[in-house]
Amino acid sequence: MIASVFNLNHPTHTVHWHFFSMSVANVVVIILLFVVFVAALLIPFPSARQGGSQ
Amino acid sequence: MSVSNETSWTAKVRERAVGALPPEKLLADKQPVYVASWIYVFGVLSLASLIVIIGSGSILALKGPGWWHFTSVGHFFNSTHLWSVELFFFFIVIHLWGKYWMAAWRGGRARVWITGAVTFLVAIPCALTGYVSQQNFDAQWISTQAKDAMNAAGIGAFFNLLNFGQMYSYHILLLPAAVVALVIAHVLLVRKHGVVPPFEVRQTSETVEAETATPPVEEVHS
Repeated sequence: MIASVFNLNHPTHTVHWHFFSMSVANVVVIILLFVVFVAALLIPFPSARQGGSQ
Repeated sequence: MSVSNETSWTAKVRERAVGALPPEKLLADKQPVYVASWIYVFGVLSLASLIVIIGSGSILALKGPGWWHFTSVGHFFNSTHLWSVELFFFFIVIHLWGKYWMAAWRGGRARVWITGAVTFLVAIPCALTGYVSQQNFDAQWISTQAKDAMNAAGIGAFFNLLNFGQMYSYHILLLPAAVVALVIAHVLLVRKHGVVPPFEVRQTSETVEAETATPPVEEVHS
């Protein structure tokens, strides 16, 4: 059986900061959400560059 | 030779449906030029994820937990189901953020916004009931933790996380049916009202009028 790409055989890593406590996996997903959201706003859409202007 | 009866309920429903959503609006082949942005892609990505969720979930329901836990093909479909759910929530959150900052309820689109937001809210218990339907230690852990939250909220008596049969029924029938029905309503309302236009830099009476009107479709975007 192929082993998992990531070794999950350990307790969850968490980010602690004062009252804030969250698993690293969830923090990574939330950061990714922000990155993809900003990228979707800033990266030009292909057809818009091909003369789709009004 | 057929006889048309304008008073029949079928004729009335048809006229009302075609009036609200004529074929060229229901299956439009042109979109306003402002739709040419990546932020408008996340709605259809959510829809694509939902189709994969329903497809992989249907196969899991047909084969059962012995198959999805102990065969390699079962593992594949189990993983496909999980990751399509992860992507569904990822895409729907970005779609929701985008539409929130566009104030997508403008121009008589309140029902479009409401059906989308309620879809997101209904999808959360749909995913939760899936996690507790896995038939493994993960499911046991999640159900014993989540039951306290449900009891604290006062709904534990009729939404019992420890009742596998109830959770499984919610997960494979009631909640997916609600999500799919809401998504169909949402898409039909988007087709009826058109995609919300972006904010103008400077609000004028003309731009306010444009926001409330059906968006222009002469600009081709394929």
